Amino acid sequence: MIWNGSARDPLWYKDAIIYEVPVKSFMDGNADGVGDFLGLSEKLDYLQDLGVTCIWLLPFFPSPLKDDGYDIADYRSIHASYGTLEDLKSFLTAAHARRLQVVIELVLNHTSDQHPWFQRARLAPPNSPERDYYVWSDTDQRYAAARTIFVDTERSNWAWDPVAQAYYWHRFFQHQPDLNYDNPAVVKEMLEILDFWLELGVDGFRLDAVPYLVEREGTNCENLPETHAIIKAVRRHIEDTATSRMLLAEANQWPADVRAYFGDSDECHMAYHFPLMPRIFMALHLEDRQPIVEIMEQTPTIPEDCQWALFLRNHDELTLEMVTDDERDYMYLAYSADPQARLNVGIRRRLAPLVGNDRRRIELLTGLLFSFPGTPVIYYGDEIGMGDNLYLGDRNGVRTPMQWTGDRNGGFSRADPARLYSPIIMDPVYGYQAVSVEAQESDTASLLYWMRNMIRLRKQFKVFGRGTMEFLQPTNQKVLAYIRRYRDDVILCAVNLSRSVQPVELDLSAFAGLVPVEMLGYTEFPPIGTAPYFLTLGPYGFYWFELQHSRS
Amino acid sequence: MASIGSNSSIQEAEVNVTHADIVVAIAAYNDVRTVGAVARAVRDGLAKFFGSHEARILLADAGSTDGTLEAARCAVGDMGLIELTYQRPAAMSGVLYHGHPGRAEALRAIVQTAHRLNAKACALVDASLHSAAPAWIERLIAPVLTDGFDYVSPYYVRHAHEGLITKGIVYPMFRALYGVRLRQPAAQEFGCSARLVSHYLEQNFWDRDQTSVGVDLWLAVAAATGGFGLCEAALGVRQPASRETPADLSTTLAQIVGALFMDLEDRVDVWQRTRGSAAVPIVGAGPEIGPDGASLNLERLIESFRLGYRELREIWTWVLPPRTIVDLRKLSEAPLERFQFDDRLWAGIIYDFAFGYNLRVMPPDHLLRSLTPLYTGWMASFILQVRNATSSQVEERVEQVCLAFEAQKRYLISRWRWPERLR
Repeated sequence: MIWNGSARDPLWYKDAIIYEVPVKSFMDGNADGVGDFLGLSEKLDYLQDLGVTCIWLLPFFPSPLKDDGYDIADYRSIHASYGTLEDLKSFLTAAHARRLQVVIELVLNHTSDQHPWFQRARLAPPNSPERDYYVWSDTDQRYAAARTIFVDTERSNWAWDPVAQAYYWHRFFQHQPDLNYDNPAVVKEMLEILDFWLELGVDGFRLDAVPYLVEREGTNCENLPETHAIIKAVRRHIEDTATSRMLLAEANQWPADVRAYFGDSDECHMAYHFPLMPRIFMALHLEDRQPIVEIMEQTPTIPEDCQWALFLRNHDELTLEMVTDDERDYMYLAYSADPQARLNVGIRRRLAPLVGNDRRRIELLTGLLFSFPGTPVIYYGDEIGMGDNLYLGDRNGVRTPMQWTGDRNGGFSRADPARLYSPIIMDPVYGYQAVSVEAQESDTASLLYWMRNMIRLRKQFKVFGRGTMEFLQPTNQKVLAYIRRYRDDVILCAVNLSRSVQPVELDLSAFAGLVPVEMLGYTEFPPIGTAPYFLTLGPYGFYWFELQHSRS
Repeated sequence: MASIGSNSSIQEAEVNVTHADIVVAIAAYNDVRTVGAVARAVRDGLAKFFGSHEARILLADAGSTDGTLEAARCAVGDMGLIELTYQRPAAMSGVLYHGHPGRAEALRAIVQTAHRLNAKACALVDASLHSAAPAWIERLIAPVLTDGFDYVSPYYVRHAHEGLITKGIVYPMFRALYGVRLRQPAAQEFGCSARLVSHYLEQNFWDRDQTSVGVDLWLAVAAATGGFGLCEAALGVRQPASRETPADLSTTLAQIVGALFMDLEDRVDVWQRTRGSAAVPIVGAGPEIGPDGASLNLERLIESFRLGYRELREIWTWVLPPRTIVDLRKLSEAPLERFQFDDRLWAGIIYDFAFGYNLRVMPPDHLLRSLTPLYTGWMASFILQVRNATSSQVEERVEQVCLAFEAQKRYLISRWRWPERLR
């Protein structure tokens, strides 16, 4: 039995524009104060008009919600607050009818401690099949070389379970015990869960925390060959049972280490480029292209059918794990003057507040996101410049209700405001009365209109998702210039990272005779000759040019 | 391997045929008056020009109740028919400007059958014609079998005032967008190669809404944008026998233009990269025809335009920029003898409507129907200019319209690239 995916092109993810959305935060369809699938389905027209092509849903499974749903208690059902399985099926059908693909979370590494597997395991005798679903130890000294990830809350990767009278392994919160992938029964369970969602028609899976599946003594327990073997098994299973599906690795690692998650096109189809994101912000603040160029030069080539997932912001903190100590210090100083903004090893802010609500800087960053080699991921609300709330704990400040209108609860819910799962943003700059979809839909100069146009434009050129990239080396370090190529398309992108007007001379002699046509307005510029090509870029300005053959 | 799509279900009355070099399909629906003559023309054409090939005639009937099937069987005699029945829509909403309900399903079934039979060449002829002749079969099939073309588009001789939607909108826009000078790209007859048949099966338009309205045009677009060899075949005069009460102008225009616009979004990576246009070879020559003497009430057409300007100007401002509205006001004030629709203005208007349609600035049918008075204005202007012209002079005039569409294409691309809503 082969389950066909909704996309005709098996490489659909290479041209996709992904929209990341927590179900609870988007739209409340039943007035209980929590977003749900009914509400999400109501807003599919909005997403279609925005132009995104793929919806990535954060975890929506039954869960104690101690880690916003990444602590799953049942992989085959829906959290009651978000609706029913029928609601999800209706949502999937409606999304596919609009040619929107849907990606969900597959949290392989761990479950909630409330999952029946864990409850069964802790009650079962040592070395029993039930106990063997998780990683147990009589001591908390094993795997000592593995770092603690949530340094703000966890002291160790081991936690004592008084019922089992043993320590269990957890790379994240202690209420999230790691599954034991040395046990074939666990792998089998996970493949069956995969089948459940494949059959329902889900188009892709984000493999959360994928580097940590297997543990080995004497290692840092990350990126181990045994972990890659598990991913290969998952991929093989998908290839055998379904078409047009995608696996996206969440591996917050250096590019060279992430490369392994693509395998030889036999592991994940996509992986996030984590180190690029902080360097884009750093380059903007430094007004110097060097951090971006450096990390891109360290980025290995990946198989033809694989793809980087690029993002500016997401539901987590702006992670600074993949930067040097000096770079981290710089980023903290540049982007989190308020210590409240810091969490773990990162900065918990949305896009607009990070850049001081400067529209030009938001546009420039989005221009980079859309023109770099990979598939862009937009975090819900960033298309209207939503703000955050630093006074909510953990990362909840960037997970507030979507701001639809200037009405009660921002149009998110008809519930009593006190029932909302989270307070809505209400400050005078980013509050729902100042920033909302409704207001921006009535303003053709709004960020929302601009985003729609940019998404529309990007979708017209496969070169952005599929093409190669070469950096130019102008002497002005404040200008980032690069060439994207795919088939007959040659695109020149020039970006001014600074707050002031910048001149730049580009060596385009390799393209002598071609005519740059500015892509947004389809305006012809003077033809390229052998002399350096001179451009002037406004503050935080950027140009995209198609290099066309002369009409004559 | 080509997908045949999940909605497809063909049943063949005669299932033991596994191969044919040539497949000629007849699409029929209550055509008892004409289907016999069409079937005989097909049979005779195959016998006369392709006697050494293994050829089959398909009949794709949309559920006729008037004896069409029996008439067709009788006409082909011993040669026999492959009779296709297929999933048809239960009901149709409104009158189609051409074809019949379920035409898309018929075409899909035909293409699938041609693919299954490994036919080297396939042609389609509508059953409602008085004018089908054996020579048509040669002209639609021979370019594929002997000259290596993939798509053969018919070229019918028409009087100056006939096929004006094609002359004023479909041909110029098709040519400007896709770079191919197919003069009648939404015709109901065509020939195609096995390679193109496979390509058709991979297209995503089969399951669209309104497929029966647009499928003929989309097949031509798919051929023009897929890197295939195209040519035209001069078939002379096309004389259809009307199946239904003809659709009114507004409906016809909305259906044809809507089909043209609907395809733009999916083909954007092709048409925005296509520059200029190239003529395609034409097989054979049609008869030269003179002015037909038919007179249209130009005053009425112009008055319809003026009324539209008064009543629909508010709607137009959703898609047309202020300068165009001003130009239209001036035109509405012009007397008949000086009533001339500028070609660039006309091309710009069509592009603005195309853009507005794809941006969904208002319900598509409302938008498309509001084009009707503008079209009547253009039609009046065109007829004024060609009323005493020869065929070649009419062609020259159409060529000027096409050049305006090509020149204005940059305007369309710029609006498409970075949409600016007018209201």
